[in-house]
Amino acid sequence: MFSKLIHSIESLTHFDFDFRRHKFSVALFFALCFNLLLAPLVYAATTSELTRSQAWALGLLGLSTAALSIYLFFVMFAPEKF
Amino acid sequence: MSQHQPSATEPQRRSPGGRRDDRRHTPKVNRKGIYQRALRSAFAKLDPRIAVRNPVMFVVWLGVFVTFLVTLDPNLFGTVSDHVAQQRWLNGIICLILFFTVLFANFAEAVAEGRGKAQADALRSTRSDTIARKILPDGTVQEVNSTALRRGDQVRVVAGDMIPADGEVIQGIGSVDESAITGESAPVLKQPGTDIASSVTGGTRLLSDELLIRITSDPGQGFIDRMISLVEGASRTKTPNEIALTVLLAVLTQVFLIVVATLPAIATYIANFLETTLGTQAATQFRSGSSIAILIALLVALIPTTIGGLLSAIGIAGMDRVAQFNVIATSGRAVEACGDVNTLVLDKTGTITLGNRLADEFIPVNGHAVADVAQVCLAASLFDETPEGRSIVQLAQQLGASLDLTGKQAEGIEFSARTRMSGTDLDGAEYRKGAVDAIKGFVRSRGGQVPDTLDQAYEQVSHLGGTPLAACRGNDIYGVIYLKDIVKPGLRERFDQLRRMGVKTVMLTGDNRITASVIAREAGVDDFIAEATPEDKIEVIRTEQAQGKLVAMTGDGTNDAPALAQANVGLAMNSGTQAAKEAANMVDLDSDPTKLIDLVTIGKQLLITRGALTTFSVANDIAKYFAIIPTLFAAAGIGALNIMQLKSAQSAIVAALIYNALIIPALIPLALKGVEFRPLTADQLLRRNILIYGIGGVIAPFIAIKLIDLILPIA
Repeated sequence: MFSKLIHSIESLTHFDFDFRRHKFSVALFFALCFNLLLAPLVYAATTSELTRSQAWALGLLGLSTAALSIYLFFVMFAPEKF
Repeated sequence: MSQHQPSATEPQRRSPGGRRDDRRHTPKVNRKGIYQRALRSAFAKLDPRIAVRNPVMFVVWLGVFVTFLVTLDPNLFGTVSDHVAQQRWLNGIICLILFFTVLFANFAEAVAEGRGKAQADALRSTRSDTIARKILPDGTVQEVNSTALRRGDQVRVVAGDMIPADGEVIQGIGSVDESAITGESAPVLKQPGTDIASSVTGGTRLLSDELLIRITSDPGQGFIDRMISLVEGASRTKTPNEIALTVLLAVLTQVFLIVVATLPAIATYIANFLETTLGTQAATQFRSGSSIAILIALLVALIPTTIGGLLSAIGIAGMDRVAQFNVIATSGRAVEACGDVNTLVLDKTGTITLGNRLADEFIPVNGHAVADVAQVCLAASLFDETPEGRSIVQLAQQLGASLDLTGKQAEGIEFSARTRMSGTDLDGAEYRKGAVDAIKGFVRSRGGQVPDTLDQAYEQVSHLGGTPLAACRGNDIYGVIYLKDIVKPGLRERFDQLRRMGVKTVMLTGDNRITASVIAREAGVDDFIAEATPEDKIEVIRTEQAQGKLVAMTGDGTNDAPALAQANVGLAMNSGTQAAKEAANMVDLDSDPTKLIDLVTIGKQLLITRGALTTFSVANDIAKYFAIIPTLFAAAGIGALNIMQLKSAQSAIVAALIYNALIIPALIPLALKGVEFRPLTADQLLRRNILIYGIGGVIAPFIAIKLIDLILPIA
């Protein structure tokens, strides 16, 4: 039991280290996962106008736009970093 | 009175009154192939890790990516048109234009950076490793590589040798070719004992004689090394104005991103309304206006891409313009501060008047003859190696004075800011010359009397605008030396220009009040401080800064270092001491203090250029808005706003984007060269900016977009 806990903590630490190293890849992975929830919502909201793949692409585009907006806010609050 | 004409072999003095370009001094920089390198660099800057540093252009870069995807599959984000091939063609064109917009912006930045890199390469070529003759503690000479030298080592350099590292001359006199760093071909005399002429720079070449040098910097810490990292832009950080502008551009981009992102929802609502009132065709036509590629085109046309693309190029070009004047700025912040300077604190000698004051006349007092005064002055100046001292010796010898030092003991007394006099102790007799008050004090301390005629002679010289120096032997005052000061030609006009721009000039001089007021009046400065000590410099800077003003000053001595550090812009002379150079935020390689006035002009030009292009960029958006929106949503009944009568929505978008891309390379020369500087007040400049770049920025795209629309083969 204790060794399992240690192992889990070690895994999390390792994951944190990997996240810092591959920040973009991990963020992209999470975005794609989140889009699995978002795409059906888009698909449902647009009745039969869009195919499932179009809804998935549109969901991803929406997420990208939101990410771009967050990036621009970041530029506004920490402009010296750019 | 005859005027001195420089001969062909004599170095030309750059006059502050002439055109700035005439005084500009460009080091030997090889700019061949700069555009090819810039083009390669422009492609390298497409790397997202680099692109993300420019928020406006990063949005365009993402636009390229998304439009590329919809070029591959026009129906990727929804079925927007039955004519897939036509839609793909339009998306492809938009993608290509956006790509070139990013590339042109990268190219502008790369060209500006390339200039700095070319200068760094020129400097790097001078920094070759050489063999140095190191003096060991036992006095023997060992040949070592220059990289093995450390601070405190002593080296012997003979004629023809490269000086291995930065240092101070401690023995010998020789002429040094400093053209590698200053571009000035005339050799410079180096000798020990003076602040001004004793420092040497590694990489320069000794042309004559032999010097013993004490090394003052470790390898990689030398002046040229620091210059290379500065001109290369390795240590470039954003200036406060650039940061403020970056925030403004990010806010504008954010606003337009929100507007464009919410447009499809509004378009769908209006399309549904049109479907019920005008029919399906109008609704379809309206919906096609909000395809992803067109929305991206609209976003790019609305965000301030022109200034976003040129912003860093303007900043780098400002640094480059300063470098072209042979001034090294430690940061862009310093260059920008030059443009905001309110007060210039200027030394009289060397800055307002010609550096070499020459003895013009000896005025005897206390019943002495001119020949006696000449004799005392000659004795008092025996060890004085300054140009003033030498001119006193020369004048005394012309008047028949001579000294036979055989078998005599002589000791030089150096000038100091505290005693304000110098002289010679010769066989027990004290010969002194210096400020009249200082000599009065000296004579009284020796039990002597001060004659009334001394004050008359003092006032006589002061009213002529000259510097009076008293000369004495022990407790007996012999007379007054008239040191003639000549105000540099053209300075009065420059100070008038500065006054019109709201810059106040303060002259600091060690001279008495009468002399100072005469010179101040002649030069046209706003204020002066007479009988100033080095502490007064820092005091006047603090007083001005306490009133919220930005102050600029020049200096070269160690005692100037605190004031140089305190000033918002401190310009140190290259010939000055290491302490002064380290305290200042700019170093003038030509050691010309008048250049501070040019730097103010360059700083203002940088700010004006940035302001003008920002105005132009934002004004452009109005025309692009009128070009795209009415044609896009003509079906909604706003076709009347299509005042340019553009052929179609597709043609309008492509024309606006082509203009948007082409305006960046078109403005690169202006960004690099800077808007022409005119000495106007802030209000006049604002009016001029709004008139030319504001109204011009609205009219120019209307004409250009209409012309491109006419040329484009799109129906």
